Amino acid sequence: MESLTTTIIEAIALLFSGDAELWNIIGISFRISTTAIFIAMIPAVLIGFTLAYADFPGRRLLISFFNTLLAVPAVVVGLTLYIVLSRQGPLGEWKLLFTQSAMVLGQIALSFPILVAMSHTAFQSADIRAWDTARTLSRNPLHALLIIMREVRFGLLGALLAGYGRIIAEVGASMMLGGNILNSTRNIPTAIAMETSKGDFSQGIALGIILVSMAFVLTMSLQYMQGKGRLTHD
Amino acid sequence: MTKHIPVHIQFSQINKRYAKKHFGFFTDNKTSKVILKDADLELKGGECILLTGKNGSGKSTLLRILAGLLKPDSATINTGLETLSWKKANKLIRQQVMYLYQEPYMFDGSVTRNLEYALGGTERGKQSPNKIKQALKWANLEHRASTSAKCLSGGERQRVALAQAWLKQPSVLLLDEPTANMDEESRRATEDLLCKFKDIGTALLIASHDVNHFHHTMDKRLLLKGGLIMEIYDEGVDKNKDDEKSSHDNISIFPSKKQLKSNI
Ligand SMILES: Nc1ncnc2c1ncn2[C@@H]1O[C@H](COP(=O)(O)OP(=O)(O)OP(=O)(O)O)[C@@H](O)[C@H]1O
Ligand SMILES: [Mg+2]
Repeated sequence: MESLTTTIIEAIALLFSGDAELWNIIGISFRISTTAIFIAMIPAVLIGFTLAYADFPGRRLLISFFNTLLAVPAVVVGLTLYIVLSRQGPLGEWKLLFTQSAMVLGQIALSFPILVAMSHTAFQSADIRAWDTARTLSRNPLHALLIIMREVRFGLLGALLAGYGRIIAEVGASMMLGGNILNSTRNIPTAIAMETSKGDFSQGIALGIILVSMAFVLTMSLQYMQGKGRLTHD
Repeated sequence: MTKHIPVHIQFSQINKRYAKKHFGFFTDNKTSKVILKDADLELKGGECILLTGKNGSGKSTLLRILAGLLKPDSATINTGLETLSWKKANKLIRQQVMYLYQEPYMFDGSVTRNLEYALGGTERGKQSPNKIKQALKWANLEHRASTSAKCLSGGERQRVALAQAWLKQPSVLLLDEPTANMDEESRRATEDLLCKFKDIGTALLIASHDVNHFHHTMDKRLLLKGGLIMEIYDEGVDKNKDDEKSSHDNISIFPSKKQLKSNI
């Protein structure tokens, strides 16, 4: 094995050389995860909202249910969807296994509980008067919903980032459902896993740099926005 | 301000108790606290009712039920056209009724933004900056239009809440201690505004300890005590400092049939 420094230099050179394969992998990763988060976002936030403000029997049970789902390992989610999508499975006819759609489905399933749990926390953290004030102030429920969503926007953004963070760097489900096919379902984490097992570290490190810098930028921007919001808190 | 078609809403047999719930299903009868017991109330456009009662007698609870924000254990609502349960009437009520909190909640953002929220989607057109300017002027907060509403003082918040009510112009306005934190000048401005609301046919219900303040505006005085609403007839309001004791002999109670039975 070459020295670590030369590998890192190689990795950085690879990133800046505009290596088509590398950037293709990065593109696939972001496209799949962004699609998944956009699909999961709206229903998850609405469920989080309902859990926070609606009063119905079994509400607490449902909250516990979503919190339990948080702890389910990604491989188990991957395995479950694999069985469902495999040729003998209930949705086998859709022929989705080893496609980007299967990966999107897997990532939706992975991010959904986080999005629900964290948006529920966001809504619940608002002042108890906030939702009632929004309802009595606005003329229709949709307007009230938009007002309260704006009020807890940092919490909701935090939920989105946490959900995104979980799926963009996740190997297990992506590998099982996508199959790591070059130019189709090979994304950043599956590529890192494969290159590393081959002993080729530079590409892995290059992709790792992308993931880490993305995490850094997202966290920083969230902190910046929250800092701005905190000034006005009472 | 445009005139309303005067409403006439009758709330009857409002029951409410606060109780702990086990697992969200089973109410714990031991810890339950009865707040309202078959209380009846009538809201009429152009009429101003003052609701008095001791701390913790349930004024805020009643107002939030009337506003469709808090679910009572039971209540029937007669809108003049039909008799509905609270749940069924809820949507209708929330469109017409506005509730102002004892300590108004200000949303994150400027005072102007908080006022904008009171304008419905259709009104947020060209006129809205003008309307908001007028509202700011009323609230005497023009100089603070762009400051964060969360930084306002208690009295300033109450003025913003009233300005929101002025922008929304609901047919029923429920005010919870609207002048509690206000200075003399703001209090007078508030009474003037309430008179204007009355003139355009808004039904007003004010919860307050302070009987003297709404002397000029009020048409009727109610007392909430022991979960019941009673009407109080008195001429010299100013003289009655302790409302529960001194006006005891002029209280008339309208018990429902159910209560009569349980009393016997
Ligand atoms: N969410 C709640 N859960 C349990 N008890 C409550 C709840 N809200 C209010 N209460 C109780 O119900 C009673 C009535 O409260 P409420 O706020 O309606 O009184 P109020 O007449 O508005 O008092 P004040 O004059 O101080 O504003 C109080 O004893 C209070 O402790
Ligand atoms: Mg109160």
